[in-house]
Amino acid sequence: MSTESRNPLSKIQEMENSRIGLYAVLLFGLVFYLFPVETAVMTMFKTQQSFIETVPFAPPSADGFTLEALTTAWNTLRPGLINSMIMAIPATILSALFGSLTAYGLTTISWRGQVGVVVFIIAGIFIPYQAVLVPLAQFWYQILPDLLNGFVNTVFGFATGGNWTYPIRNGYLQLFQLSVTHAAYGIPICTLLFRSYYQSISDEMIEAARLDGATAFSIYKNIILPLSLPMFAVTLIYQFTQVYNDLLFALVLVNEPSSQVATQRLAALTGGVVQSFNTTMAGAIVAALPTLLVYIVFGEQFAKGVAGET
Amino acid sequence: MREILNRLRTAGDSLRSVVSRDESDGQTLATDGGTETAVGDRRRDTLRNSLPVEWELIESAPFWLPPVLLAAFFVYGAIAWNAVLSLTDFQGLGEPSYGQLDLSMYAQMASDGAFWQATQNTLVLLVVFTIFCLALGLFVAILIDQNIRFENTFRTIYLLPMALSFVVTATMWSWVYNAKNGVFNQLLRLLNLEGLIITLLKPAGVTAEVVQWLSWNTTALAAVIFALIWQFSGYAMVVFLAGLRAIPTEHYEAARVDGASTVRMYMRVIIPQLRASAVSASVVLMVFALKAFDFIYSLRGSQPGANMDILATMMYRVAFDSLRWAYGSAIAIVLFLLALLVIGPYLYSEYRRGEL
Amino acid sequence: MAQLTLDDVTKIFHDDDEGEIVAVDEVSVDIEDGEFLCVVGPSGCGKSTTLRMIAGLEDISSGEIRLGGEIINDQPPAQRDVAMVFQSYALYPHMTVRENMAFGLEQSTDMSDEQIAQQVEEATDLLGIDDLIDRKPGELSGGQQQRVALGRAIVRDPEVFLMDEPLANLDAKLRAEMRTELQHLQERLGVTTVYVTHDQTEAMTMSDRIAILNDGKLQQAATPLECYHEPNNMFVAGFIGEPSMNFFDVDRRGSTLVADDFEYDLSEETARELGDRTDLTLGIRPEDIELVEGGSGAHDYAGVVDVVEPRGSENTVHMTFDASDSANFVATVDGMRDVEWGEHVTVRFPEEAIHVFDSATGEAVRNRELDSVEKVEPIV
Repeated sequence: MSTESRNPLSKIQEMENSRIGLYAVLLFGLVFYLFPVETAVMTMFKTQQSFIETVPFAPPSADGFTLEALTTAWNTLRPGLINSMIMAIPATILSALFGSLTAYGLTTISWRGQVGVVVFIIAGIFIPYQAVLVPLAQFWYQILPDLLNGFVNTVFGFATGGNWTYPIRNGYLQLFQLSVTHAAYGIPICTLLFRSYYQSISDEMIEAARLDGATAFSIYKNIILPLSLPMFAVTLIYQFTQVYNDLLFALVLVNEPSSQVATQRLAALTGGVVQSFNTTMAGAIVAALPTLLVYIVFGEQFAKGVAGET
Repeated sequence: MREILNRLRTAGDSLRSVVSRDESDGQTLATDGGTETAVGDRRRDTLRNSLPVEWELIESAPFWLPPVLLAAFFVYGAIAWNAVLSLTDFQGLGEPSYGQLDLSMYAQMASDGAFWQATQNTLVLLVVFTIFCLALGLFVAILIDQNIRFENTFRTIYLLPMALSFVVTATMWSWVYNAKNGVFNQLLRLLNLEGLIITLLKPAGVTAEVVQWLSWNTTALAAVIFALIWQFSGYAMVVFLAGLRAIPTEHYEAARVDGASTVRMYMRVIIPQLRASAVSASVVLMVFALKAFDFIYSLRGSQPGANMDILATMMYRVAFDSLRWAYGSAIAIVLFLLALLVIGPYLYSEYRRGEL
Repeated sequence: MAQLTLDDVTKIFHDDDEGEIVAVDEVSVDIEDGEFLCVVGPSGCGKSTTLRMIAGLEDISSGEIRLGGEIINDQPPAQRDVAMVFQSYALYPHMTVRENMAFGLEQSTDMSDEQIAQQVEEATDLLGIDDLIDRKPGELSGGQQQRVALGRAIVRDPEVFLMDEPLANLDAKLRAEMRTELQHLQERLGVTTVYVTHDQTEAMTMSDRIAILNDGKLQQAATPLECYHEPNNMFVAGFIGEPSMNFFDVDRRGSTLVADDFEYDLSEETARELGDRTDLTLGIRPEDIELVEGGSGAHDYAGVVDVVEPRGSENTVHMTFDASDSANFVATVDGMRDVEWGEHVTVRFPEEAIHVFDSATGEAVRNRELDSVEKVEPIV
């Protein structure tokens, strides 16, 4: 009763208050999600003395400001950044392309029992990679070199004299192996992303194309592929961040210092110089830069990729 | 109109004559060599129909089979091989011998205190992390769903930690948790709470003047879980937000007309409809939790100490630091079975409901 | 040349849960060269499946489909020389109108680019969409998209057009316009056409012949007027015509049909037609029921007006017999005639207009006299 008889103005006031409360909570959320990043950014511009003496999230004072940490971090990480790009870009493109092809063959062309294959492949998304690490190391460092050595020295023995060995310690080869590994493990998630997209494409349109005389390949090339371009953007963005951010596979597959990727170099930086937080924070920001840029420019696509994982 | 029509018909006729000329060419050929082309055509058609499998399966195979084989080799081939390795005694340098397979590694595991500690930590991480992520994600999603201004900005920033590498976030959090100068302890000092926290959380037998978030056995795992919640609650938010957006506005309006308060409306009408979102989000979050290796490794290296050790870090340490490959493989199999326990029922129910 | 023949065509779907489902059951029909055949029936009757089997989009479980005498059962869709128009139009959203129409020619013929361009332009001229040729489907209205879909079929110059409810997504007015236009187009092009619809008005107005399907079985294939006046069975009689035919369960006693609410005396001639069947259904179309002033003829009954639905040119009158809980029936009368709710009237069921069906099988035993159509006097 009392609420109804109250001045309508106070009701509006009440709504205003709850709106203000809502925005206060949302702003607190911003602080919560940003403070570790903000702290890192502030710290990377501080001198050793300054970051010990000041509050971490405060900006550096005039005499406590330095670019030295950033320079050190950049010089340490730069080769890693380049290696990461060399490794991640082809892996991402391959995964996306394979994912699109797989999803096409398992969705747009429909046949009995295909869902079984879909489950089989999609389960691969959820595998803890520890379960494949030892065989992976064995495959790239034992089985494949042995096989290739045997093959090359048998077939081309006249030229190699039986002395050819697979250059196991070649840095670029290790990067290539890492790239192929990522491409293979990226297929399941890319397939899932493309499959949910292809399910939304009208069956009648595909039937129309079949009646128009298009072959399965021609339908893919002329219809599915052009229509998938937005989905390629989503998949490439999402998968690139996943591959770039990974540390585990790199730890196992790349041991030549010259071919270490950015995450490996950052991990080494963090573990090594314990007290130079300005340098390690600068390292974190530099290592995060490619994915941060991608995220800022293509946030929408990244969010779609994230949501597609369910 | 008539004229246009005539032109079309003429064009059609000329096309038809082109086609029929082709046909008659074919015919001449055929009569020269009997009626083989026609027979050949029919044979191909019957072949297509007498296939033991559907034509579409064969037609689609070039698209999906190579990638599926590649992924299957790396995923399932590797897991099977790993399972076999876990039955050997493979360790050190050299090559595994598959001569004698037994369960000795699993027996060793059963009496390994470190393994049970890691398993316990893994399960705690799995459960606590998932529940808090879901709760926070749901809360934030509901806030974002209130027709707020700058919705995109808020959403983008809340999701940002997820775009960062574990290595990057671990580096940042190691600074946040730093005992001497980290944000947390400086804040506590500012609020004069440091002493209180120390008395509350300090493990027995430790003397300390500052809170050692990452070293104390009372706080280490919680600190990791907190940082992971920070990183992944944005993911839960995205999933819940999609679920909220899928609920028709009529449901909100009907609840309002019925006179339900906002809280009651969400508790009774809206949240129960988010079950599917919650299930799928928790499956993915649990899998993230099982993969939290990168984070802990970057924070503390491969020897994070008993308080923070999870199966993923233990497996890596055992296999790649100590070179006890078979034992590492056995731990990996346990980890895999844990994952299977989470995703198996989920994938099966999705499959039964035709959602895949 | 392009006579299309369906010979005992059957489609059986295998369902994991329900076992075998017979979607199309031994359907046989001949479609002459240039004929326009409408396939109608309620949803789920198998009409779309039939069309898709002709197109080659579904395998045929048994039976034969012949085009120009050649069995096409095993030919893939593209080799059948048929073109299909889909309900959703199924246009390629990323291609312009021109590219949409050219795609089929590029894929299935060896024509040069110039030939294709010429053929596409002629088809767009014919359909009056030449000014839209460089637009994409998303920029077109529903009616324009529908024309492009038609154009895509026409440009192929196929032996057979297959149309799956092509007008269903248009609004009522546009649908009526397109109906006429499509009919003209088909007549001019003279291409054999199979047209699937659930709308009996479309079927009645457009087609040379109608094939009516129910539960996968062909009920009747005949001209629209034959289906209307001489239905094979109760299903056809009830399905064709709006409002639908009135049915009354009757028992035959000698030369009288006894219903719950009335008795109907038959002439000797009609009685003879019924043979010795006794369990029957009397059918009469609403427009054949006459409202007469104070009549007392053999087939005059007392009725009460229940609901009147004015339609302008005519009124649809829902009535009951003058008895409590009697059967309902519907009559249509001239729009100018004033009928009111609760009014007591005399209704006449003229004997030349009645249909009689075998209640057990639904078969028509006696249909209305066709030459009497002209004799029916307009009601005053």
